[in-house]
Amino acid sequence: MNQLILTADQQDCLQELINVAMGQASDQLARYLDTFVHLKVPSIEQVSSEHLSQSLHQEEQAVAVVSQGFFGYEGIRGEALLVYQPKDSDRLADLLGYEPDELSVEEQIIDLSSILTTTFLNVFASQIDNQMSYSAPRLLASSQSSISEHIEQQQFTWDAALKVKITYQVTDYSFNCDMILLIPSAAIINITTVIDRILEAF
Amino acid sequence: MSSSVLICDDSNLARKQVLRSLPESLSSTAQLATNGEEALELLSQQNFDLLFLDLTMPVVDGIGVLEGIKAAELSVNVFVISADVQPEMQSKVMQLGAKAFLRKPVQKELLHHHLNEYGLL
Repeated sequence: MNQLILTADQQDCLQELINVAMGQASDQLARYLDTFVHLKVPSIEQVSSEHLSQSLHQEEQAVAVVSQGFFGYEGIRGEALLVYQPKDSDRLADLLGYEPDELSVEEQIIDLSSILTTTFLNVFASQIDNQMSYSAPRLLASSQSSISEHIEQQQFTWDAALKVKITYQVTDYSFNCDMILLIPSAAIINITTVIDRILEAF
Repeated sequence: MSSSVLICDDSNLARKQVLRSLPESLSSTAQLATNGEEALELLSQQNFDLLFLDLTMPVVDGIGVLEGIKAAELSVNVFVISADVQPEMQSKVMQLGAKAFLRKPVQKELLHHHLNEYGLL
């Protein structure tokens, strides 16, 4: 199974689970930044395994990617990638309000990514009666080849990539990044089963 | 006579979650809107006692609905049910006249508590 094939009802349910998770991740981010974050409905799309490396390659500029593994019960595991375009990663220091010498840009990106990833996945997991633990987040070298290599060299076989486009409006400017969840087919089956259970209850 | 209810959310699941959390007397006659524009149209056509309102929606969002209700001086009780749980958003909707702020996914007991508070149960 290479794709998470969902009916319209399942898709609506997944979107709502993600909306709730993203809402709480934004709240954490807002608290961390001590500001208000204007939230948009996150868009979700699937990227096939063949096309993921390719789609990252298509970006002409280098990107910053922070990678963090997650582990739950019943085959739910995977790797969360937060992908930043340069214009967004360059702005992180302004956004986070750090003094120039306080933390390196790399540390700032890792901080922010870990807040988004762990809050998002904790809330998502709790809605599907699961619980997550995490590996330490790592910033990947920004060259295209190292990112592709990282994706190809995951410890587990992932079968689907779920891309959640995150757009935040923070005070005067917008900030964008993509969260890409690489998940194995066992996780896909589990998520679909839980979605069906939720739908049956209504 | 039982209260008339309107549920406005772009998610089918979220609308059902609210419906399921309501007592039969309210859910049986509840009407549904899938975005803020639809809600405002329904509100202009008939009287509702209670509106369950999502915030993050396409076309017209929840804030737009609250502003529309205020501008038209409608007397509906608004309970906001949102995934956007930032304290600033909560105080913003309360300032715009919402009676309660509930976080998603909605909890039945908490919803009933708020309904009781306004004598809507």
